[in-house]
Amino acid sequence: MGETLDLGRRIEIVPMDAHFHDITVALYRQLRNEGPTFVVHSYSRIDGSEGRIASIVNAMQILGGMELTPDGQLQFPCKESHELACRRVFLEACKFSSDEPVEPRPLNVLDKKSGLNIIITSSGTGAYNVGADGDAKSKERRISAIAGGLIKLGQMVDEKIDRVSFACTHPHDALVGLLLVRAPNVRAIMREQEMASSRGVLSAPSQQE
Amino acid sequence: METQIVGPMTSRERVLAALRLDPVDRTPVCNPTSVATVELMDLVDAPFPAANRKPELMARLAATGYTELGFDTIMPVFTIIQESSALGCKIQWEQKDNWPTVKMREPIWEDVDDIKVPPDFLTHQDTKCVLDAIKILKREYGDEVAIIGKTMGPWSLGYHCFGVEPFLLLSLDDPGKTKLALDRMKEATIDFGIAQIEAGADALTLPDHATGDLVSGDYYRRYLRDLHIEFVERIPIPLILHICGRTVDRMEFIAQTGMAAFHYDSKNKPAESMDVTRNRIALVGNINNPETLFSKQPEDVRQEVRSNLDAKVQLVGPECAIPLQTAIENLKAIPQAVLDWHREQVATN
Repeated sequence: MGETLDLGRRIEIVPMDAHFHDITVALYRQLRNEGPTFVVHSYSRIDGSEGRIASIVNAMQILGGMELTPDGQLQFPCKESHELACRRVFLEACKFSSDEPVEPRPLNVLDKKSGLNIIITSSGTGAYNVGADGDAKSKERRISAIAGGLIKLGQMVDEKIDRVSFACTHPHDALVGLLLVRAPNVRAIMREQEMASSRGVLSAPSQQE
Repeated sequence: METQIVGPMTSRERVLAALRLDPVDRTPVCNPTSVATVELMDLVDAPFPAANRKPELMARLAATGYTELGFDTIMPVFTIIQESSALGCKIQWEQKDNWPTVKMREPIWEDVDDIKVPPDFLTHQDTKCVLDAIKILKREYGDEVAIIGKTMGPWSLGYHCFGVEPFLLLSLDDPGKTKLALDRMKEATIDFGIAQIEAGADALTLPDHATGDLVSGDYYRRYLRDLHIEFVERIPIPLILHICGRTVDRMEFIAQTGMAAFHYDSKNKPAESMDVTRNRIALVGNINNPETLFSKQPEDVRQEVRSNLDAKVQLVGPECAIPLQTAIENLKAIPQAVLDWHREQVATN
């Protein structure tokens, strides 16, 4: 009778896509024998919706280093879930318009709080060293904070104060580059997420302003 | 309420029987308040805020509660501001992903003598939209599914039209004036309710936000119980009272009103609520919105459904209007859990 689909567990949603007619786009996770896969979907039937979804999927491949399965679902090359990181990849991909060029983020970023240039070095086995060019009083503290940010955003393992890793032991350079942009200010991301999730919740008149 | 002793029912028959506390073939899944989500808005191209102001869109979006989610009811009045808009309140209509609200910092009434129901109250765009949507739904689904309308009670209208703080202060400072204000505002509740019956509604939700956080059980008895009895007498259709929050302290008084059902919040446990109401009024609820439906998994939803069914709650559904970003899979888990529970009961008996 219905037209809604069994797409797996919905793990993230953009209720209004600012780049395409305010359609709702969501990310679903499916559990398969060959590892978890991800589906980007919109129920919108507006002309061009499919193209918009395709551009988000394309952006997720570039920004997160994800691959397409033969039936067009997204998956990390290591076949692990990395769910939290995947949600971040999806949210960042939705920020690009369909005609905007998307490129992988580099493994360095300017930390505005300290003025340091943060540089990430990949071991090639899923571990990453966090270092910095330049001098600042807070250098060690900022390196530690940014490593902490990567751990929170990417569900990474805390190895040392300046070293984090993925439990899958596979390199995810594009993903780390993407997370690095947000890692210096994880609190802002948390606030953003809280605000986004409280939107659309109806409160009693006595709770409204 | 008894189950499994009658033959198969349509959704409409099932809901209306449960509201009469009659036997049903299985527990109905009922939404006295909105089950609209942003994804369902896309599916039928009926986004907020237009779906709150255009009857065709309102009806189309509301119908998904039945056609997509598998509920036994269709409830098109998503918001709590339709009447307040028609009374003259300023409305912040918001966008697709948020609820319209009354600008309560700009109240339209300061004194009891200001209260006037405008002559165009029932022809105003935002009340007429509801009436026309109910007519559409009645025409398309009237034989098979219960169409539930909604008319806001005077306590809620008081918050909207006077502002929350001024209205609560009035109730503390001048009970006589407060009762007079409620008495005058109740006419809007009754007029809009009767108009929805004429449009084809099978039952009406009557939210009156004497909520557990701000208003005591004794307040409910003093100010609202008799008014609610009057609504039962003057609005000839099953009424489902809706009050958010912890309300066990007033369920005894609510059960005395003659309302068909009480739509209760997850802050009240199913078993303790059934103990108080003792089958004098049906209960509808009380699947938690912000935590369970919004943030958890279908298995968690199923557990809450089961705790309501184990307590013999008469109609099962979300506790209040669901968050607009709720996952469809969690909503579909409600009717599925009801079916599964009843199958298990049959198997064990």
